[in-house]
Amino acid sequence: MALGVVGSPALMHAKEEYDLVVISGEPAAATKKALETLGGISRFVKKGHRVVLKPNMSFARTPEFGATTHPMVVAAVAQECIRAGARRVLILDHTLHRAELCLERTGIREACKNISGVHVQAFQDRKFFKEIKIPQGKVLDRVEVIQEALESDLLINIPVAKSHSATGVSLGIKGLMGLIWDRESFHSRFNINQALSDLATVIKPQLTIIDATRALASGGPGGPGDVKKTNLIIAGTDPVAVDSYGVTIVPWYGQTFKGRQVEHLLIAHQRGLGKIDIEQLKIFKGSA
Amino acid sequence: MRTIIQALSLLLFSLLFIFATYKLPNWLPADIYLRIDPLLGLNAIFASREIIPRVLWSLILIGATLFIGRFFCAYVCPTGASIDFLDFLFFRKKKRPGLKNEAGFQKIKTGLLIVFLTAGLLGLSLAFFLDPLALLTRFYTFFLYPLTITLINLFLDLLRPLSRAFGWVALSYLHYFQPVFYMSAITLLIFGGIVALNLFAKRFWCRYLCPLGAFLSFISPLGLFKRKVSPECNECLKCQKACPMGAIEQDPTKTRFPECIQCRTCVKVCSQEAVTFPASLSFSLGGEYSSTNFSRRGFLYSVAGGMTFGFLAMRTPFTPLQSKHQLVRPPGAIPETEFLRTCIRCGECMKSCLTNTLQPCLWESGFSGLWTPKMDLRLAPCDQNCNVCGKVCPTQAIRSVSLEEKNHAKVGTAVLLKEMCLVWAQDKICLICDEICPYNAIVFRPVEGYRRPVVIASKCNGCGFCEKKCPVLGESAIVVVPDGEIRLKEGSYVKEAQKLQLEFKANPGDDKFILEESGFKIESGKKEEKKSQPQTPKGFM
Repeated sequence: MALGVVGSPALMHAKEEYDLVVISGEPAAATKKALETLGGISRFVKKGHRVVLKPNMSFARTPEFGATTHPMVVAAVAQECIRAGARRVLILDHTLHRAELCLERTGIREACKNISGVHVQAFQDRKFFKEIKIPQGKVLDRVEVIQEALESDLLINIPVAKSHSATGVSLGIKGLMGLIWDRESFHSRFNINQALSDLATVIKPQLTIIDATRALASGGPGGPGDVKKTNLIIAGTDPVAVDSYGVTIVPWYGQTFKGRQVEHLLIAHQRGLGKIDIEQLKIFKGSA
Repeated sequence: MRTIIQALSLLLFSLLFIFATYKLPNWLPADIYLRIDPLLGLNAIFASREIIPRVLWSLILIGATLFIGRFFCAYVCPTGASIDFLDFLFFRKKKRPGLKNEAGFQKIKTGLLIVFLTAGLLGLSLAFFLDPLALLTRFYTFFLYPLTITLINLFLDLLRPLSRAFGWVALSYLHYFQPVFYMSAITLLIFGGIVALNLFAKRFWCRYLCPLGAFLSFISPLGLFKRKVSPECNECLKCQKACPMGAIEQDPTKTRFPECIQCRTCVKVCSQEAVTFPASLSFSLGGEYSSTNFSRRGFLYSVAGGMTFGFLAMRTPFTPLQSKHQLVRPPGAIPETEFLRTCIRCGECMKSCLTNTLQPCLWESGFSGLWTPKMDLRLAPCDQNCNVCGKVCPTQAIRSVSLEEKNHAKVGTAVLLKEMCLVWAQDKICLICDEICPYNAIVFRPVEGYRRPVVIASKCNGCGFCEKKCPVLGESAIVVVPDGEIRLKEGSYVKEAQKLQLEFKANPGDDKFILEESGFKIESGKKEEKKSQPQTPKGFM
């Protein structure tokens, strides 16, 4: 008993020092191992917390397309949150396709339906969004965000790794666009890369877990495209660092890139939102 | 007893209406009420000159009516039930003047029936206009259904503070998609008018106007149950006044059998218990029961009326233009001319449409296209996971086909309007059409030093996601036009698409091709510096 009490915080402390955790393996097992290696989900989830998970479930595509987050990854995180004492876990996204189709086809609703306290919800009406100011915004000075994501105790971003024809890659920071109401303006009115880093100054997920169990290396973000079986989970608290690692896992459109070559990541890094050079990070690599 | 059966029938009709939506199981014929309607069936068969298998369901109602009589109107018809119910709500205490020339007015519906059938023979689908089941389905679709959703959402909004306080998460965020339709107001006016006519006489519609009633009365005089009045009758005329159909003559022992719907109101009100409906199998073809009392002149006028309608509706520039029609029709819609003849404008496809893209036409394809479904792809796309519109089509003007077949039933082709496209006209970074396209039919090609979207027509099935999502205000910079549509009366869309060398498949797109062809490269400082301006895929530097 005493040993356990003394031992585990020390262990946790040691594990906390990693900037990034990269685990290879099956979706659920790798996810659990990644959380464990980060120091356990209880590092983030406290008893009674209201947790919001933001997977990518924007497209009515089945998991093998690689356009949406793997349902088992989402379910594993949700399960861990509940186990750590979360009062409620809300899994949400502002979908591009019809909400019920997205929830059904992505498999995320099905995967989470038996976990009590977990709710999967797609927000498609403006009344669920709330406008906030972006004090440091360069192009974007205000934005409407899903209210529940703003009011929750903890926001965990669970993007899927995929290519994107405007931003190069769509990982954690790009995934934040699923929390806002007016997605179109990012394409039509603003420079999307600048707008994304503006958004990242106000929406700061405490934890980012990239589902790189497969990577949509071309044809993104909606697919169909070239799906690589990468079997990886990448997790960390620094959104830029996690994404930068994600950039390196596969060649995108047949070419290898680094985080610095991705415009929206570079801008985010330059604005002090996170580290971009993965050579300088402490990375734990393991398998489950 | 009768009201209970009526209420149950209306409930069943409403339930089937609710079930007519995405994920409708194949075994559930949500359109069964429309299928058993022989008037809609005859109209479609006449107009299209084809036997439509689904229409054969109406033989059930024809047979039952032949055997039992015109019971449908009193017991089954959901329109009759609605009229009775609304009559009870609004006009129960109203004194009604009644119409003097009862028998004369009753002939109107027979005249209308002849008009519609004549028009049908000329190839004009017209019966939908006053057929009670098509009428009610339209009223449900275009008015009642959107209204109900509005009310439910309003209720949920009012409940929301409470749901939040009690932590009912699912209820806190419950919000139903609000369907909208172009012709709601017109549809309401017509239905409201029909109900308002009850101010003059009970069941005004059923008595005088309903062409389906007229058809059923043609075959009802052969029926099993016949009103019979015993000598106990003291001629108090209570039954004559109470009869909702005006089927009892001045001499209350006499019945206008074609008008009698066997509701047995007369039995109920009779203080002498003199009225009965005994079962008797004494068919008397051509006897008093079958006399419809319709004059030769009335018949000729009606035929002339039907021909006039047929002529006016068909002999317009819209008819020769049918081969070059401008509307995007639902996937699986049979060729345009046949489609217009077969569609009975019930609105069931539009109700069931998952995305709300199916909208009723007003005048876009002329009189003969009233209320026919078109796709409004700026409003909403057609989803590749849904094939419900064909499943619920009672006359198969939209064919019921598998998902794979449906996705090959190309409805049109997307066309990029370069002057409006943000990328082509303004060099902006926009990729929404490419992002959303389920078939990778939009690719980026380098033109004038910039990646610009291009539609590959052979991969586009016209689903319209691009048109819907295009962020340009007003008209979309990418629009689906009917060009290239596949409209088949029979046979496989997949095979037809193969024949035409079309490919609507979810396979890796042309992105790699673009990369190689375009000379995009990465400034990673390693090697390979081409002389042309260095470029990378969007988002990379």
